[in-house]
Amino acid sequence: MPEQSFIIQRYDPENDRSYEEQFSVEYEAGQTVLDCLNEIKWSQDGTLSYRMSCRHAICGSCAMKVNGKSMLACKTQVTEAASKGDPIRMAPMGNQKVLKDLVVDTTKFVAQFERAQTWLQPHEDQEPPSREYRQPVEEFDHWSHTSTCIHCGACYSDCTVAAVDEKFLGPAALAKAYRFVMDSRDTKKEQRLRELSSMEGGIWDCTRCFMCIEACPKDVLPMDAIMELRSEAIKADVANNHGSRHYKAFRGGVQKRGRLDEATLPILSAGVRPGAIPELLSYTPGAIRLLRTRKLIEAARRHGASKDGREEIQRIFEEVEGEKQHHDVDSESFAAEFDAALH
Amino acid sequence: MKYAFWPGCVARGAAPELYKSTLAVAEHLGFELEELDAAACTGAGIISDGDPYLQDTLNARTLAMAEKMDLPLMDICSTCVGVHRLAAEKLENVDYRARINEHLAPEGLEYSGKADPRHLLWIMLEDVGEDRINSLIRRPLGELNLGPFYGCYILRPERNLDFEQHPHRQHSLEHLIKMLGATTVTYDGMTKCCGFPILTTNKKNSLTMAGTHVAEAADKGADALVTPCPLCHLNLDAQQYDAAKVIDRRLGVPILHVPQLLGLAMGLEPEALGLTRHVVDTRHLLNLVGA
Repeated sequence: MPEQSFIIQRYDPENDRSYEEQFSVEYEAGQTVLDCLNEIKWSQDGTLSYRMSCRHAICGSCAMKVNGKSMLACKTQVTEAASKGDPIRMAPMGNQKVLKDLVVDTTKFVAQFERAQTWLQPHEDQEPPSREYRQPVEEFDHWSHTSTCIHCGACYSDCTVAAVDEKFLGPAALAKAYRFVMDSRDTKKEQRLRELSSMEGGIWDCTRCFMCIEACPKDVLPMDAIMELRSEAIKADVANNHGSRHYKAFRGGVQKRGRLDEATLPILSAGVRPGAIPELLSYTPGAIRLLRTRKLIEAARRHGASKDGREEIQRIFEEVEGEKQHHDVDSESFAAEFDAALH
Repeated sequence: MKYAFWPGCVARGAAPELYKSTLAVAEHLGFELEELDAAACTGAGIISDGDPYLQDTLNARTLAMAEKMDLPLMDICSTCVGVHRLAAEKLENVDYRARINEHLAPEGLEYSGKADPRHLLWIMLEDVGEDRINSLIRRPLGELNLGPFYGCYILRPERNLDFEQHPHRQHSLEHLIKMLGATTVTYDGMTKCCGFPILTTNKKNSLTMAGTHVAEAADKGADALVTPCPLCHLNLDAQQYDAAKVIDRRLGVPILHVPQLLGLAMGLEPEALGLTRHVVDTRHLLNLVGA
C-alpha cells in the first residue's frame, strides 16, 4: 500500500503550546483525508483531536484546512490532496479561535446567522396556514443552491473579510439571508434589505474575492448570493449608503465616458453631504502622494472611450434601461450565471 | 504576434506606468497591439452589483470587437480578464447570448461565444514561452527576492480559468519570477484580496488587508512584490503609507507591475517602464539589480 505523510498543526490548550507534528499513514485508493486522520488517531496518537460525524459530506463537522484551503476532510481524497510526494499539511479552520488541534470554537460563526435573522418571518397578525407554508417550485429553483448549505464553516474560514473584521456577517449567513429575502412567504424583505445594507459587517463589506465560492463543498455560491442581495438592495432603493453610492457613481461614470472616472468616484462614493467631509479629508495625504508622482494628473485627464465608442455605450445603457421596464432581466441573468456555474 | 489589446481604465488612469511599461515590453517582444479604443470599462464587478445584464452586455461588446478583428484578446489587468471571462462564461448560454447580441447588432457586432480573454502574464508563458523569455534577458534578477501578489480574479473562480488545461496558470507569477532568475518569496497573503474593492466603503478593513499582506511578505524577506492587477497595485503601492498607519508599522516595499518586471529583466530603462513614478520609492530595488 502507498504511504502518505501528513504534517498536522497541533495546539495543546493545557500548556498553550502550538507545534507541527508529522505522521505517516498507509492508504488505499479511494480513501479520504479523514480516513487517514482516523488511522492516525486510532493507531498512532489517541490525543489527536478533530471533529467528524457522518463521513458523507452532509453533517458539516469535519471542515479544516488541507494544504491551506478549507474543505471537508471526508470529501477530500488523499490522492486529490497529495502532490509530488509532498506531505499533506493539515490545519484548523481560520478566522476562529482554536480549542485543540483541528477543533475550533464556532460560536462566532454561528452567531452571524442570528444577526442575519435567517429564519422565516411570516405575517405576525395572520393565522398560520392549517398545513405548511407553501412555496412555488420555480421560486425555490431560483435560490435552491443556497439551501444546500451544511453550515460547515469552510467559507467563513477562508473569508478574507472575516480575517480582518469580526463583525462581518460572512458568506454562509449572508447566503442564508438571501434565501429569506427572496422567499415570497417571508414578509420582511424590505426591512431585511435595509438592515443587511446598513448594519456593520453587512453586504457592502464583501470584497468579491471568490474565496467562499472555492471553499464551499456544496456549491452554495455564497458570493453570488451576496451580489444578488446588493442588486435587490439597489432595486429596492433601501439605503443611501456607501455601497449603493459607489455603484451609482461608478455606473454613472462609465455611462458618461465609457470608462471608470477615477477623479470623481471617491467623492461621489463618499456622498455630497456634510457628513462626508472627514472621510474626504482622510484622502488628502494619499492624494498629495498621487500628485507628487503625477498619477493624479493622469486620473484627472479622464481618458474616456473614443467618441464613436461613447455613443454606442450610451445607446446600450439606454436600451438596457428601456428593456428593464418590461422584463425582469436581472433574474434571467442570474439564472444564466448559475447555469454556467454548475456546468 | 498580434493581439486585440484592452488596457483597462486604471492603466489609462492612476496607473499610467502599467500602460507605458506594457507598450515598451510589447515593442521589445515584437507584439502588434490593436488597442480597443471604443470599448467600455468591464464594470469590474461593480456594475453587476446592481445590473449584471448591463455589465454582460458591455463585455459581450468588447469580446465581439476582438472577434471581428479576428485577434486574440489580451488584458493587462486581472480584474478585467476575470470579468471578461465571467461574462464569456455566462454568454455560453445560447438564449442569453442571443438576447444580448440584439444590443450589439446596431453597431454591426455579434458575439459568437468563443472568446478566450487572456492576461499578458499568461500570454508570456503560453505564446512567448520560456526559451524566448530566457533569450531576451539582459539584466538578470538573481539578487531579487520577489513576493508574488496574485489578487483574486486571476486565481478564482477556478472553474473559469482553464487550470486543468493550463496547470501553469495556478502558479503563473512564480513561473515568471523563476524564469527571470529571481527568487520567489511565498507567503499566506499572496493569493488573498488586496482590499481595494472596499477602499471607499470600508477603508479600515481595506487597508488592514493591504498592510497585512505587504508586512507579511516583507517579514519573509521580499525586496518587492509583483502583481498582475493594477487595482491591487493601487492599494498596495498608492495606499501603502496609509495602510502602514492602519497596521501601525513601517513598510516601504515597492510593488511592480508584471510588464515592469519583464522590462527590467530585458534591460529596459526604469524611466521607460514608469518605475520612477511609484508612490513607494523604487530606487533601492533598482540599485539591487544595477539599473
